Amino acid sequence: MGMLEIRNVDKVYHTRGKPPVHAVRALDMDIRSGEIVALLGSSGCGKTSTLRMIAGFESVSSGSIALAQRPIHELPPAKRRVAMAFEGYSLYPPLTVRENIAFALKAQQLSRSEIAQRVDNIARLVEIEDILDSHPRALSGGQQQRVSLARALVRDADLYLLDEPMGQLEPQLRAVLRGRIKGLLAERGMTAIFVTHDQTEASALADRIAVMEDGVLQQFANERELKNRPANLFVASFIGEPPMNLLETTVRRAEAGFRLTAGSGMAFDIPSQTLAPAAQQALAQADRIKVGIRPQRIAIGSGEARLRVVSNQWLGDQSHVAGECAGHLLVAVTSSRVAARPGDVVPCALDAKNLHLFGTDGLCIRHAEAR
Amino acid sequence: MDHSSLAGRIFRGIALAMVLVFFMFPIVWILLMSFQTNEQILRIPPRILFEPTLANYEALISGQLRTAAGNLQISFMRNLMNSFLLSSASVILALLLGVPAAYAFARFKFRLGETIAFTLLSFRFAPPLLVLLPLSLYYQQLGLNDTYFGIVWVYQLIALPLILWIVRGYFEDISPDIEHAYRLAGHSWREAFTRIAVPLAGPGIAAAGLLSFIFCWNNFVFALILASADKQPVTVGALAFVTASGIQYGQIAAAIVLSVTPTLLLALYAQRYLVEGLSLGAVKG
Amino acid sequence: MARLELKAVDKCFGAVSCAKGVSLTVEPGEIVAVFGPSGSGKTVLLRMIAGMFEPDDGDILVGGRSIVDAPPEQRGIGMAFQNFALFPHMSARDNIASGLRATGASDIAAKVTAMSRLLKIEHVLGHRPRELSNGQKQRTALARALIGNPEVLLLDDPLRNVDAKLRYEMRLELPSLLRRSSAAALYVTQDYREAMAIADRIAVLINGRLVQVARPEEIYARPASVAVARLFGDPSINLSEVSPVADQGRLTAAIAGTEIMLDRNERETSTRQRCWLGVRPDDVVVTRQNSGGAIPARVVAITPMHERAVLLLRFADGSEWLAAMAPEALEAGADEEVFVQFAPEAALLFDHASGERIGLPPRRQAA
Repeated sequence: MGMLEIRNVDKVYHTRGKPPVHAVRALDMDIRSGEIVALLGSSGCGKTSTLRMIAGFESVSSGSIALAQRPIHELPPAKRRVAMAFEGYSLYPPLTVRENIAFALKAQQLSRSEIAQRVDNIARLVEIEDILDSHPRALSGGQQQRVSLARALVRDADLYLLDEPMGQLEPQLRAVLRGRIKGLLAERGMTAIFVTHDQTEASALADRIAVMEDGVLQQFANERELKNRPANLFVASFIGEPPMNLLETTVRRAEAGFRLTAGSGMAFDIPSQTLAPAAQQALAQADRIKVGIRPQRIAIGSGEARLRVVSNQWLGDQSHVAGECAGHLLVAVTSSRVAARPGDVVPCALDAKNLHLFGTDGLCIRHAEAR
Repeated sequence: MDHSSLAGRIFRGIALAMVLVFFMFPIVWILLMSFQTNEQILRIPPRILFEPTLANYEALISGQLRTAAGNLQISFMRNLMNSFLLSSASVILALLLGVPAAYAFARFKFRLGETIAFTLLSFRFAPPLLVLLPLSLYYQQLGLNDTYFGIVWVYQLIALPLILWIVRGYFEDISPDIEHAYRLAGHSWREAFTRIAVPLAGPGIAAAGLLSFIFCWNNFVFALILASADKQPVTVGALAFVTASGIQYGQIAAAIVLSVTPTLLLALYAQRYLVEGLSLGAVKG
Repeated sequence: MARLELKAVDKCFGAVSCAKGVSLTVEPGEIVAVFGPSGSGKTVLLRMIAGMFEPDDGDILVGGRSIVDAPPEQRGIGMAFQNFALFPHMSARDNIASGLRATGASDIAAKVTAMSRLLKIEHVLGHRPRELSNGQKQRTALARALIGNPEVLLLDDPLRNVDAKLRYEMRLELPSLLRRSSAAALYVTQDYREAMAIADRIAVLINGRLVQVARPEEIYARPASVAVARLFGDPSINLSEVSPVADQGRLTAAIAGTEIMLDRNERETSTRQRCWLGVRPDDVVVTRQNSGGAIPARVVAITPMHERAVLLLRFADGSEWLAAMAPEALEAGADEEVFVQFAPEAALLFDHASGERIGLPPRRQAA
């Protein structure tokens, strides 16, 4: 049974004198109890509208939202039993940090010692014990964001909504806080949805990620699934750092399969038995298709292909090597250091089993072999 | 957000209509009056339907005012011309002085800068009547009484602070980096001012110029005391309609219509220009 | 081509000191990244070179000639700004050409075309800035900075306002683009990866002071202080407070109650009172079985990041460490009890009071 059920929700904004904007289209999502979900996409993809509809700050144009089997899409925000941390922090300026965090707890009629206990616990978690008696205006952006997070997480709610919860955090704290918040949510079995445009944050915190674009849910799956089995070209190129290498290829039938040619001296043989019947049919009909290979799946130092290095950057824990191969710019990432300099030619392995194939409609017709 | 319940829309319509009536009625009424004779105007009860006459306008344009007590010479068209001359000259002078000053206040932090800027603004707070007597005495001494130059000068009290404060805000909205970039591209600060700052603040400068033109145009007391009949603007000239034999409502109305029209047209024309083109290419914040 | 030299540059704004004795040399054709947390004075430093601020003390030289008294337009500097600072009322073409026009260069049209081809913005040359995407704006701004062949190039966090994908593309393209011009380039950034990817050397600026100037790999492997170590690496370095003990030729320290063997350092004769011990998350090894000398910990959460699994580990005393590893190498799940180890040579020791690194333990060199 789903904790949050979003059924066929649309959101259309009407502005006089302008064409209506379809911010969210036919959105269907089921979120399980205790699950952490990220709404990921670039600005204007509909992720924030979705969050605001769940919170009740926007009405749904059509469709329904149910939280714990209760339809909530027509309730005012205060009656939905959701807690929210806003992107703009929106702390109450005349109150101290402690009062800000305790504000919602007072409405819950908890005892004074209980409130103090909870505030102290959450403050320790997000490292704001030393600023509990400061006023918001005296805080840095990162501190304000941590207070805002604490204020949302301290409450009892059926659902926690976090809008860009970590964008302003100090880089050195980010990794630890992600871990702690994820640990806290898991320990208490809290259900949470957060909006972000940063896929690092999405993959770090979320159990499942909803990738949105143009108001449409592109794929809703866990991080590994998104990386290994992207549903379409958009998800494939959007998810993954650095982005997937994409090559335009011409399709030719070959014995026992297909031959995809990406340029002089670069061709891939795809045996038919690795293809589903529908994929075989799609390939048989297409002249040109796009193939993609993750930078982490290009091995440097061995293999048939030759890469003329354009740049080789060592980032302390991984090497990013960009180079030309049969007229294409490819990026490869390895965790070991590569000695090549710009202009050098190094061998690299582009294995056909590591290729994702995308049909002309952008849908993925074959995924790379999982590792 | 869409708050579009039917009741809400009806209520909003009624409220808007009430505000519109409140503000527009005097103007419409004046317009109607300007096409009526004095007798028609003073009829009780007043009528909406009447036979329009252009007599009032004829009288104004020809300068011959016929009253029960006999014919009277008025110089309304000359007053209109004066208004136009005085206001334009004042605004041009104020722009020449005010735009560079506004730039300086926006870009440079100097000692007493804020104090000077505020002092200039505070001229707008003082009631003009307070300074009129000493001012007219000075003007007599200096021989500025009843000169165009004298009036243009005193109008700077109205126009300059306005231009300074409005244009300053516009200059402050332009990212200094845009000017820095232009200077690094090899241009002097003077070029950066004339080719970057002024064009980008253009809409603001136009708005400030327009507003101060209207304020100068509408001024009454300064011109009343400091100008004689042949230098008077329309605002003062309208006093001529209060004659020995009564008040010439029809002509007053026509005079108002004629004197309001130029500023109204100016504002309507400039509105389009003001709204356009404030979006800068830079990323904000 | 000329080298850029900063000599003991000081700058204060009221009581706030933005630069304290900053000395730095950038050779022609070299890219030096100025990296530091926000508010460390990076931008002020750049702006002093560009001539927007005057240094209180010290000198700035280009090709051996002091430029401190020259107005910005005579300094021979090209600059790219974080907010692009394009001229909104001019087309992209006029934006790029603005520098050439001032100097009365010949062949302006040909040069603009060549530069725009290099930066792949030929097709938008006729557009006004507001019609350009952020990526195109940023490329236009770069073209404008590069076109006059300046002796000094200043880049003030130019990739800050473009989206992640474009930022990555530019990160690959920029070094060769900057090297073509053979200008002395200073590149300000808040992203350590960007600094490592683009720069020949990195100058780490903290509170107006240059703390370390060295090649990227050198800084990553041998940071000068705790503050520098914390700035490089994502997830950032694990730090524990320890008091190392020398015993029978071995150096040991207790972390969360477990004795850990440290690398014996010849230069370190006496043991310090208190130190910070730093271990990068990549160097932390997490196992399910204790093979001796490992620290027991609980996995609080697993947060995948940059194609790696990042584990938040909590020790018995409540302190926390992070470990990063390839997802395939991940043995434990969330909430499991595990054992934590690291190679002795992977640990960095810093003085507790000054934060400076103690000795020079030879760090494991990556292959």
